[in-house]
Amino acid sequence: MDLHLFSQYLLSGIVIGAIYSLMALGITFIYSVMKMINWSMGEFYMIGSYVQYALLASLLGWDRWYLALPLAMASVFVLGLVVQRFLLRPMYVGGVERRDEYATVMTIALMVLFRNLAIVLGGPNQYAPRDYAKPTTLLTLPLSGNRVVALVGALVLLGLFYVLVTRTWVGRALRGAAQNRIGIQTAGIDVLRLDMLAFGVGVAMAAAAGALLAPDFLVYPENGAISTFKGFEIIVIGGLGSILGSVVGGVLLGVIEALGSVFISPAYKDLYGFLLLIALLVLRPTGLFGERERTV
Amino acid sequence: MSRRLTAIVLALLTLAVFATPALAQKPVKIGVLTPLSPPGDASAGQFIVRGAKMAADDINAKGILGGRKIELVIEDDAGTPEKGGAGFRKLATQDGVVAVLGQFHSSVALAVQDLAEQFKVPLFATQASSRVFTEKHLNYSFRTHVIDTDRVQLWNRWIKEKGFKKVAVLAENTDYGVGLVEDTKKLFVTMGVSAELKTIIFDRAVVDLTPQLLEIKNWKPDLVINIGVGTPAYLIIKQAADVGLLPATPMLVSYDMPARPEFWKNLGDKGNYVSFMVYYHPTMKLTPRGEAFRTKYREQFKEDPVYAALNGYAQVALIADALEAAKSDSSEALVRSLLGNKFQGWSATISFTRGEGPYWQQWTPPMLMLQYTRPEMPFTEAKIIYPAEFKTGELAVPR
Repeated sequence: MDLHLFSQYLLSGIVIGAIYSLMALGITFIYSVMKMINWSMGEFYMIGSYVQYALLASLLGWDRWYLALPLAMASVFVLGLVVQRFLLRPMYVGGVERRDEYATVMTIALMVLFRNLAIVLGGPNQYAPRDYAKPTTLLTLPLSGNRVVALVGALVLLGLFYVLVTRTWVGRALRGAAQNRIGIQTAGIDVLRLDMLAFGVGVAMAAAAGALLAPDFLVYPENGAISTFKGFEIIVIGGLGSILGSVVGGVLLGVIEALGSVFISPAYKDLYGFLLLIALLVLRPTGLFGERERTV
Repeated sequence: MSRRLTAIVLALLTLAVFATPALAQKPVKIGVLTPLSPPGDASAGQFIVRGAKMAADDINAKGILGGRKIELVIEDDAGTPEKGGAGFRKLATQDGVVAVLGQFHSSVALAVQDLAEQFKVPLFATQASSRVFTEKHLNYSFRTHVIDTDRVQLWNRWIKEKGFKKVAVLAENTDYGVGLVEDTKKLFVTMGVSAELKTIIFDRAVVDLTPQLLEIKNWKPDLVINIGVGTPAYLIIKQAADVGLLPATPMLVSYDMPARPEFWKNLGDKGNYVSFMVYYHPTMKLTPRGEAFRTKYREQFKEDPVYAALNGYAQVALIADALEAAKSDSSEALVRSLLGNKFQGWSATISFTRGEGPYWQQWTPPMLMLQYTRPEMPFTEAKIIYPAEFKTGELAVPR
């Protein structure tokens, strides 16, 4: 095997994996705080890509993608707040039985709704913003400039997220809610507001991934489907609720898919991640960085 | 009592007298089952519907079978056999259509054609080209589109004539993609193509094909054949340009997707130097029906028609002509009429015979290979690079 080529495969896997991890982080963050799985995560990715495209095509011009990105994230953040406030929060007040199941059903309904809305509003065709940057070379890997932008953008956002949850008062509150929702309420913190914030931040991360990848992976109503599955695979591989797990799991998945698709067959590219996932569930059910639940 | 009975009889007679013309004017329903949402190639479906609607409007100006109107019942198959099957069942049982056209994805067409046989409703492949579709020799399956085998024969002849030494094929894992790969391998042997062949089949749902394109680039082919449909076809072109495979290595797209107006919007400069197969070219001489359609289409949409619209138009017209010739709206009469008559298509006369192999109830349009040689090049100006008798330019490869 040509070492140069092998390094290219490896690098392409690392790059795509790092971008995947942004999506996974949003899912794991929402799960950690709200204890619910957001099945419509891919649709927030999709909405992020549409908002980015619409802003660039009609308002900002193709070159100002860096302005469109925070705007796309902000609009999806607001949408997330609205969805959480009016569609999900009612299940978290008043002692609703089986609230997690209801929340799951609600996010599945949202998935169908958003996908169909995209078809109605934007049509079923593909769109693509102009390239964010010129093609370049990363070590040995010839790479689209868009993917470099997406990689840097993902790393910056991961860094900002890390700072938010570790260095700020809100972040400490969110971590507190992730550890014990009842305990944090005894400290006088409004956990329902934290839920809203967590949901908004989580879906804004997905929107960022959609906006960053729009020129490379196109904008169309089902473009979020793949990223949702990858996101779920990653959080199980990395460990539910673990930020580090999301990043490591993302990169691991990207590399395994890249190598598997070249050395075994690209027809089963999605299978390799699932094989890893099954192996991990058997050998280490909590994922690479997940922790066992502590009960008293 | 007798007065009441008389009143009822009179009422029924009145109803019968007034209802008869209404029943006689019952529309003839034709189903359009085509991809209108992802993962299907929704753009193709929209063009097919556009053409079919224009045909229905034209026909309804006069009416068929004594002034009856045509009513199109449009269903979305989303490019998936499950949705296609559900759509066909609805069209056949609930809507009572006389025929169904619009099939674009081979996987859907192959699944749905068995239902067509079961419900005895003729099915027309509008742009589904799998050899197997007509090779099954089913009574209710018709096609007015190319067969994959013919498509492969054309590119194999081109490969031979150009003297390409290494050819890479990147195909999606659908009936269309896998069928084309198998045909290419088989016909490489029978047609004596000496080029080395590398084939890679990928999962249609995958969005990152960078590792496969790096592998192909490292293999240093003289030609890459892109067998993606819809989104995958775009992703291959984009990512091939990103890894530096395009434009230095010629790429042939297996169908006419680059002829659509959105091609340049989605790809920008990366679409330059792409070659592609088409079944229609704006410089072609058409039949009076095709010419009238082209003129009307240009007036209405301010762009040149694409093949999907032309074939959608021609298939509705074909069904209407066949029903008129049969003087009946029954499916059996339609099949007999289709087999026993000749009809005016968009580029030539259409007739169906029950030939051997895939040439069963099959009519094939012409095939050409085109190439764009500058960004934003209009489809009308794309060079014809093959076959030799229609050639307007040579394959251009930037150095």
